[in-house]
Amino acid sequence: MASRKEQKEQARAARLAQEQQAASKAQRTRRFQMFGGAIAIAVIVIVVAIVASSSGGGGPKGAHTGLTTGKQERQLVSSVDSVLNKIPQSGTTLGSPTAKVTMQYFGDLECPYCQVFTLDVLPSFVAQEVKTGHVKVEYRSMCTATCHGAFSQQQSQKFFNLQQIAAAAAGKQNKFWQYADLFYHQQKTEDTGYATNSFLTGIAKQIPGLNVQTWQTDRKDPSLADQVNADQQYATKANLPGTPSLIMTGPKGTELVNNGNLVTSESQLTTAVKAVS
Amino acid sequence: MSATAGSAQRATRSRVRADPLLLWILIFTTIGFLDAAYLTYVHYYGLGSLLCIGASHGHSSCVTVQSSPWSKIDGVPVALLGLIGYVGLFVSYFVTARINGELGRAMGFCIALIGFGFSAYLTYRELFSIHAICEWCVGSAICMTFLVVLTAIRFLRGEPATT
Repeated sequence: MASRKEQKEQARAARLAQEQQAASKAQRTRRFQMFGGAIAIAVIVIVVAIVASSSGGGGPKGAHTGLTTGKQERQLVSSVDSVLNKIPQSGTTLGSPTAKVTMQYFGDLECPYCQVFTLDVLPSFVAQEVKTGHVKVEYRSMCTATCHGAFSQQQSQKFFNLQQIAAAAAGKQNKFWQYADLFYHQQKTEDTGYATNSFLTGIAKQIPGLNVQTWQTDRKDPSLADQVNADQQYATKANLPGTPSLIMTGPKGTELVNNGNLVTSESQLTTAVKAVS
Repeated sequence: MSATAGSAQRATRSRVRADPLLLWILIFTTIGFLDAAYLTYVHYYGLGSLLCIGASHGHSSCVTVQSSPWSKIDGVPVALLGLIGYVGLFVSYFVTARINGELGRAMGFCIALIGFGFSAYLTYRELFSIHAICEWCVGSAICMTFLVVLTAIRFLRGEPATT
């Protein structure tokens, strides 16, 4: 039989083991609670990030055209106007007709690189070189993003012509650049066929001072379709690498500014201007 | 080098040696960090320099993804958010080692899970909305996938037995 002392020690060991077991169980419970908490926090953050990304990402919004409305629309129109204010326009050309340097901008309104270039790089160049009368910018059509491949070649070309002619028709009222800027600001996922007739008319309606009825009539002008086709033929013949392709022409010659790379800073443009001036 | 800094380095080295899981976590975090740092650099200093396979419109498929509307959240590039996430993971390892092991491990798992979830969403967008794949983004997504598994195991396992 165990002595009294041994019995005491056994009881103590059993108590310690019990306490250790309870402590380890409590720790496990706490760990699982923290694990659940971490998952809950992560799920909340992911959902918020996805919602923020989708709402800024150009997915379809409430309105069937997906165009900006209300206060946001007014802010957008006024920001576009502040870039183009008081700069002469004629057709698809922005700037003084007597400017010594011409920058031809081959673009596709659905092209995301053109969006980045037009909204992030072009405004400061326009303020510095176009507003001062030194350079004029001529927009020319080249199907890239719209002809990406989701639709048949014929269908893609139809979409492309529809949107480019819509913008060119605004140019007949000297508002091509307002149209193009508003399009780029509200651009959706390329080659999804979103630029429907109602989308294009919606943009026209956003432009202050544009006579939408006249614009609708001008869209049927065959000379605009001819110009879009001529631009594309030129781009193919010149073997332009993609959009935006920028060609600077001045008294000292002609230079392809970007050779396939996206122009991300205004300095690339001003260097080209200096080279041909 | 001071004696304190030297002993801290020795402690870190022995911790890594004693815990291979931590070693793999540090490896994937470093790869992901460098990947996100490169994407952030390219975002701010020129898309033209993005090295990537595949092309559309005369541009690499990475440029297509990087200039898509999903490449930013409220004007903040997702590459930068990824970079911040990897820095957060390094901070969580520091917290584990120096302040509170359980809290640091939970923090690491939480950050990795957020990174994994958002990477999965962005990969979905690449495949079904942008129709282009950026290898650098996929690289980061793979790192986050490994990290979420490893940090979950590490958290549920608790402190490794020391020798």
